[in-house]
Amino acid sequence: MKRNGLRALGLMSCAIVFVSLIGFAVDLYDIVANETVPEISKAAGLNLVDDYISTYTAEELADLAANGATPGIRLAADRALFKLNDGLLALVALDQDTLYAMAAAGDQDAAEAWVFNARASYKRPDAAEEAIADCKVVTIEIALGELLGGFYGPGSPIGQKPKDELLRMVVGDVLGLRIAAATALTTYWIQEGSLTIPQVEAAIRANTGVNPELALAHQGLLTYLYGQE
Amino acid sequence: MRNTLILVGLLAACSLAALGQGYATQPADALVFPIGVEGTVYEDMELGVRGGTLHIPNIEDPRAWNNHTAHETSTTWFTYRMHRGLVNLDHISGAIVPDLAKGWEISEDGLVITFHLREGLKWSDGMPITADDVLFTYNDVVLNEDVDCNSRDGQILPDGTFPVCEKLDDYTVRFTLSTIYRPFLNSVGVGIMPKHKLAQYVHKLNPDVPAGTFNETWTLDMDLSELVGNGPWIVTDYAVNVSVTMERNPYYYGYDPAGTQLPYYDKIVNHIVANQDVSMLKFRNGEVDVYALRPEDIPILLPEGPAKRFQVMVTDLAGYGTTWICPNQDIGLGDGTDAEKRELYRNVEFREAIAHLLDKDTMVQNVLNGLGTAQWTGVSLPSPFYAGRDYYGGPTTESDAVWFEYDPALAASKLDALGVVDQDGDGWRDLPSGAPLTIEINTNDNTTRIAYCLIIQDDLRAAGLNAQFQVVDFNTLVNKLFAATGDIIQLGLTGGDEPNSGKNVYTSCGSLHAYRYSACEDPDEVDLRIDELMDLGANTFDLDEAFEYYKEYQILLAHQLGYIYLCQPTFLYAHYDYVGNAFKASPISTPGGNNGNLTELCFDKRL
Repeated sequence: MKRNGLRALGLMSCAIVFVSLIGFAVDLYDIVANETVPEISKAAGLNLVDDYISTYTAEELADLAANGATPGIRLAADRALFKLNDGLLALVALDQDTLYAMAAAGDQDAAEAWVFNARASYKRPDAAEEAIADCKVVTIEIALGELLGGFYGPGSPIGQKPKDELLRMVVGDVLGLRIAAATALTTYWIQEGSLTIPQVEAAIRANTGVNPELALAHQGLLTYLYGQE
Repeated sequence: MRNTLILVGLLAACSLAALGQGYATQPADALVFPIGVEGTVYEDMELGVRGGTLHIPNIEDPRAWNNHTAHETSTTWFTYRMHRGLVNLDHISGAIVPDLAKGWEISEDGLVITFHLREGLKWSDGMPITADDVLFTYNDVVLNEDVDCNSRDGQILPDGTFPVCEKLDDYTVRFTLSTIYRPFLNSVGVGIMPKHKLAQYVHKLNPDVPAGTFNETWTLDMDLSELVGNGPWIVTDYAVNVSVTMERNPYYYGYDPAGTQLPYYDKIVNHIVANQDVSMLKFRNGEVDVYALRPEDIPILLPEGPAKRFQVMVTDLAGYGTTWICPNQDIGLGDGTDAEKRELYRNVEFREAIAHLLDKDTMVQNVLNGLGTAQWTGVSLPSPFYAGRDYYGGPTTESDAVWFEYDPALAASKLDALGVVDQDGDGWRDLPSGAPLTIEINTNDNTTRIAYCLIIQDDLRAAGLNAQFQVVDFNTLVNKLFAATGDIIQLGLTGGDEPNSGKNVYTSCGSLHAYRYSACEDPDEVDLRIDELMDLGANTFDLDEAFEYYKEYQILLAHQLGYIYLCQPTFLYAHYDYVGNAFKASPISTPGGNNGNLTELCFDKRL
């Protein structure tokens, strides 16, 4: 049964009280409830997934995922549900045709599973780059971009790119390459550990809506930094 | 979907009641691993704390709990951890080290080896471990033809006889060999079994049971409270297709320098999963602590590692085995053809030119996706006898390595000096007489080998050699190799720690001396010295002395360029940061398989 918005807010208030009682980091709840910049909201939300699992029923999570007041709330609930339903483990058991159809219909998780199952075909970055160039499905292009980012990032035995090249690529013309650059940049920044939360939040505010993948790269870093608090 | 961390027991679970209470104090003869001790290969490892459970994935169920009748790694992964032998291979260096025996003496004539057992040790049920158990294992299990024993063949001496095992007293056993044979030190490390539990199942000791009964002993449906071992772990629970749980053997004799009994972890839970993809996802989800990753997993795991706090270990440790090309120095010998080509292939200067045309860096990048290392010798890198080490089991510095760097200009100058030049203006180098020179490169339908050969073909052609690559089926390839009818063949060989295992390849009369079988009748000075060194290495028990013999032979082989080595994939694994000491070596697998893994030396840093 779906709840209306007021009841959803009420539920959220109860959750904040509940979580406060158990000594959780309240500021994340504050961010996820009040932050207007989507990437910052989502970074907070991604740190609340386990908490949502222990706080809400599956039905409540489904409701929050669809109707939550902010992007962070909706993302936290969605990822909590995904985890409860065994996540990628359940999806990779499906055949590739089914996953492709789901991906083509907009299911990003299905796209991740499709790329996961096909990853032996992309043992080299050029193979992933070619696949991105030929890709007709946006969700799969994004998933391929994330895979490619693993080649571009630090520690990769083949295909590692320097940060300045990634910073150019992340604002380039091709979605999959922008995603790849964003993935790699996040990894670099986490490893370097030199940016603070205020700096990252500021970078997101400067790029949200303008350079979405650059904002996404910073979101990845912010998610990590919030988790360290 | 069920939570795989919940054990759904289909078989009887019984554990603690079967295990004893442990030693009151550290045994005087305990095996102390030099964790954190400077000057040892363990020096950068940490002392750990006891407690916690290590969760690891496994893609197969075991088939039994019997160490000596197991023929598959899905079983020996567990049985090796329950039963240790007189000697073992060191976890890090691969060197032969004392284990259940605290030491041994070798007679002057090298034919008698006397092992001294650690005194005061107990089986997991509290019964004493004595020489009777060693004799039982060796004489009544390993050498017993009624037992389908996987390690019997490894005990055979060069003259076809077996060592004779005798008890001298409760803690001393003697092996008498018919011939000096150092590799015996490796093969004698079979897991020792408890006589008090198993003698009843051996027909020659208990005529009431039929012959072969031992082969059906300690099967999966046994009461696990009857399982007794001397290794660091004992299986205490098994749920088919779900999990195997191992707990610390309270009487394991391994300790750390601070006096803490090993293993550090209280338990290992092996989660039996459908396939490696599931293993990988469980690792990503944090449900298992270690994962033996594959190259295609790297781009997925690398970006997640920093945030999730796990390490993707792309080591520079090559696995066992070799990959090579083999110019046939007996080409045409059988049918009296190709005399000039044969003379050319037998000229080491020509083989050096070929070696300088092998772009191993490109092979590593393009064939192994950066996950490989170049090879220069037939002894595998993990072996303690690998000539890239400074001494037996020592660090790998490659200070004596023999490399032929990729240098097309140098190769060209060597070819020119040999008179292998283009005499008819067709763009291809000819034999010195002016006759055309065509080089056929063969391998079988294997994507990695084909990739190597395409690179080699291109580089030879770029140097003006008319190289033609052709895929043939595996049996044809092997026939060409054995019959010496091939031209240049690309293949590989398995490897191990023991250089003597390569005798059939590198000695002049070896059955796999495929680069020149005629050396058996007509050995040159290098062949004779290599033959001599292989015997010298096997005929001394002084491991440092053996290392020097094997080093010299590897260097000679490298210069001889009979097999010209290519590259080998490197070893990969991933572990969460909280698994202490896992940075040093994986606790679940190694380049060499089960030997030398670190389950007892890893610990939970979160405790």
